[in-house]
Amino acid sequence: MTTTSTSPHDSRLALLLVTPALVVIAGIALVPIAATVWEALHQHDLRLPWLGRPFIGAGNFIEALGDARFREAVAHTVAFSAISVPLELSLGLALAVLMHTVRRGRGLVRVAALLPWAIPTVVAALVWRLMFENVATAMRVDWFSDPLTAWIPIVVADVWKTTPFVAVLLLAGLQTIDPEVYDSARLDGASPMRQFLTITIPLLAPSLVVAAAFRTLDALRIFDVPYVMTAGGPGTATEPLSMYAFAALMERLRFGYGSALSITLFALTFVVALASVRALSRATPVEPS
Amino acid sequence: MSAHHLARVAAIVLVVGLLGPIAGMMAASLLPETRVFGGFPWTGPLTLTTEHYAALIEERGFLLPIRNSLIVATATTLVAVPCATLCAYALARLPMRGKGVLLALLLAVSMFPQISIVAPLFLVLRNIGLLDTFPGLVLPYVTFTTPLAVWLLTGFFRQLPRDLEDAARMDGASRLRVIRDVVLPVAAPGLASTAILTFLYCWNEFLFALSFTLGPEHQTVPVAIALFRGRYQIPWGQVLAAASIATLPVVAIVLAFQRRIVAGLTAGAVKG
Amino acid sequence: MPRLVGLVWLSCAVVAACGSTASERPRLTFSGSAVGAEGTLLRTQLARFSQRHPGIDVDIRITPDAADQRHQLYVQWLNARMVTPDVLQLDIVWTAEFAAAGWVQPLKEESVDANDFFPAAIAADRWRGVLYAVPWFVDVGLLYRRVDLFDRPPASLEALHGDALAAVQRGQAANGLVWQGARYEGLITVFLEYLTACGGRILDERGEVAVDSAAAVRALTLMRDGIGTFVPRSVVTSQEEQVRFSFQNGQSAFMRNWPYAWTLLQDERQSSVAGRVGVSFMPAASGGRPAAALGGGQLAINKFSRHPALALSLVEFLTDRDQMLERARVASQLPSRRSLYDGDELARAMSLPIGDLRAAIESAVARPVTPVYSEVSQLLQVHLHRALTRQEEPREALTEAAREMRALFARTGLSGQDAP
Repeated sequence: MTTTSTSPHDSRLALLLVTPALVVIAGIALVPIAATVWEALHQHDLRLPWLGRPFIGAGNFIEALGDARFREAVAHTVAFSAISVPLELSLGLALAVLMHTVRRGRGLVRVAALLPWAIPTVVAALVWRLMFENVATAMRVDWFSDPLTAWIPIVVADVWKTTPFVAVLLLAGLQTIDPEVYDSARLDGASPMRQFLTITIPLLAPSLVVAAAFRTLDALRIFDVPYVMTAGGPGTATEPLSMYAFAALMERLRFGYGSALSITLFALTFVVALASVRALSRATPVEPS
Repeated sequence: MSAHHLARVAAIVLVVGLLGPIAGMMAASLLPETRVFGGFPWTGPLTLTTEHYAALIEERGFLLPIRNSLIVATATTLVAVPCATLCAYALARLPMRGKGVLLALLLAVSMFPQISIVAPLFLVLRNIGLLDTFPGLVLPYVTFTTPLAVWLLTGFFRQLPRDLEDAARMDGASRLRVIRDVVLPVAAPGLASTAILTFLYCWNEFLFALSFTLGPEHQTVPVAIALFRGRYQIPWGQVLAAASIATLPVVAIVLAFQRRIVAGLTAGAVKG
Repeated sequence: MPRLVGLVWLSCAVVAACGSTASERPRLTFSGSAVGAEGTLLRTQLARFSQRHPGIDVDIRITPDAADQRHQLYVQWLNARMVTPDVLQLDIVWTAEFAAAGWVQPLKEESVDANDFFPAAIAADRWRGVLYAVPWFVDVGLLYRRVDLFDRPPASLEALHGDALAAVQRGQAANGLVWQGARYEGLITVFLEYLTACGGRILDERGEVAVDSAAAVRALTLMRDGIGTFVPRSVVTSQEEQVRFSFQNGQSAFMRNWPYAWTLLQDERQSSVAGRVGVSFMPAASGGRPAAALGGGQLAINKFSRHPALALSLVEFLTDRDQMLERARVASQLPSRRSLYDGDELARAMSLPIGDLRAAIESAVARPVTPVYSEVSQLLQVHLHRALTRQEEPREALTEAAREMRALFARTGLSGQDAP
């Protein structure tokens, strides 16, 4: 294959082509996140303009640490992620294996996998709310009034919506595994379960880590489903951190405090993202040259 | 039962479980309100009615949020995809310092919790008068869809064979010419996938729409549906009808483009 | 490539075009209660306004009827500096908040004839000496009683409780007394009446927090001790309508509620006590004074309105004597102008016995006028409700509430001197 020489002209062109995207990212993502950090260091209540916008350093964060509602919101967020992500990964893996083995009706299964992921989250939340309320009246159980059971519809709706997406990701990984590896394992007398554990999982590891990373980040950020399904209720029992930050910002108009809450969530996702990158580099096998 | 039979049964159960709620929602939107709530309508005669849809359009003016969503999603796609295409081509084909950094940056931005930038964006949009306007919503949407689009398209471009491009360049065509005449036509499938995913993101987005729009003139479909709550009782009939309307375009897109969508999703994930 | 760029610009232009709508005739937008008889009346009066001011149309922007939701919506709109609605109907306790935040226009006292309004009502619409809203109608807490059981109103709070207990013991009614005790704003108004009857205040004359006084503890204890004997336990989840039904169905001898209930109680088609209802105001306990809690709607002008002068003329129109008299007749809402209570026009328009009402309104007690009233109310509601449900003793509940209120005022730089 011939290679054309690259010129400084090309480098300049590259810069030019990259600039629009860079401007957008910098202007509407990077600058605002820095602004949020700055805002979090001030007291800024939009309903009390006479107080101005004094710099209070870590004041908002200290208030948050003493705020029971904040601690609960963090606990809710972490617990929700810890429960829903493993569920989505395992169910997604099962679904991916299924999609891989099923020959006929593959199109139908694919559509079935895509539709829940593609519809608006708001719609999914409402549909599952209705279904749970119907079940509730039939079984005389009121899911939505109990602080613990109110989480069940939320988890179900989220898992229902995102498991197919995980499956699609994992399916791509499955499809890259050379069937000959399985053949030689079978000839060696390995059972299907053993094949699964010793071949599939390790080879799928990078895809699994990517899927886990994406899902964890999404689970930490969750907002739509609890907002529409339970409005964070009963009380604030199903309120994740993003919803509390939203309430502080847009309902209480405490922009300084709400910014501190948002930055806490940002820090949480940042840590998870870093950990994922680490895990990914360790899970990706080094290509033999 | 053989493994194959098991798989078959599992597949059926899964398809029902995944599609059932959606189908049920659309079916229930055609039932009178009393049958929708208060126990599954298993018994009794089934009367179908389109009263909810009629009420939706006449009483609630539901066509307005649909129009708003269409405008915002289309505008975002038309801005984000070309922007991302240029960037992705540069990353895939052209020499540049700091490519890795840029890619990492793009990925990082798409992982931001959206709530983290609501506060400053709100204040800025308010001060420049773009709150409760279409551009005010398109800008954040472009920001959150461009990184993903760049990732997808970069992976896609990298997969394309260089032969055509090299041949055209050897014939003396400039880079830009090559992009326009040679690369884009071949890349059409990838562009289509990206456009579809971008459109879907905008159609479904909730948090920004909730924060930056205030009235029915600019509220999008998810916000309009979510705000049905907060009256005395949830009018389930109308909510289901609205949800069905919101879902139909998505269903159409998925049915028509399922292969593309899967290709788009996996291109970024695996190659990235 | 050029085609692509052109497409992008075209879509931007389309988007921009869809965003802007210029209109020639000035349109005002009004936002407030617009359901039922009130709604029909409002539309009639707005049409009348358009007739008198040709060229101006007024639209109604519907808001949820629940006060909290309407409040939240206003806060979002005004914080976003939306230019509509031009005129807003506010609850009496919202004016200070909106004024301090810079969301509503200051008004000249003379131009709205401020002296004609009840002092307590118009005082609640002032913030730091400037007027920001005009009282549209007033609400006062009233004591309803069954005249076939008790032909005279009780002379004191102790007498009221005694009568209520007697009614239960004699089997004349299932409950002696019902009031709104759910954890919402209404609870504050009931508490305020008991508090004033016992001689206490939420904020004292200097604006300092006084809700932990001995009088307050006495008031809250009186409220709590009735529950389970002559006050049903269901009051702690009851709002206005549940209370009304209880009295209307003959289950209670006494009820504390707002004037709106009168017309419904006299409707023979739904009320079993029609013609057997008397009304007075909550009596004083020893050492206190009788006082009703003051409520009502106010009209204010959006600070960011594009037509402030037109909005002002709409406000003046809706609050003039004729429109107020019509509201009294059609929607049974009490006028906020004192002069309407002289003469017999009002008496003929409303069936509620007016003599008592004027006195009640003159001595009505307003809730604290402060920009952070919603937070004050929230924390007070929590502690009052905990005391009523016996999760806390009244003394502890009020001490804690007072502590939180003081911290709130300190944190927000609001010392007491702003309170009336």
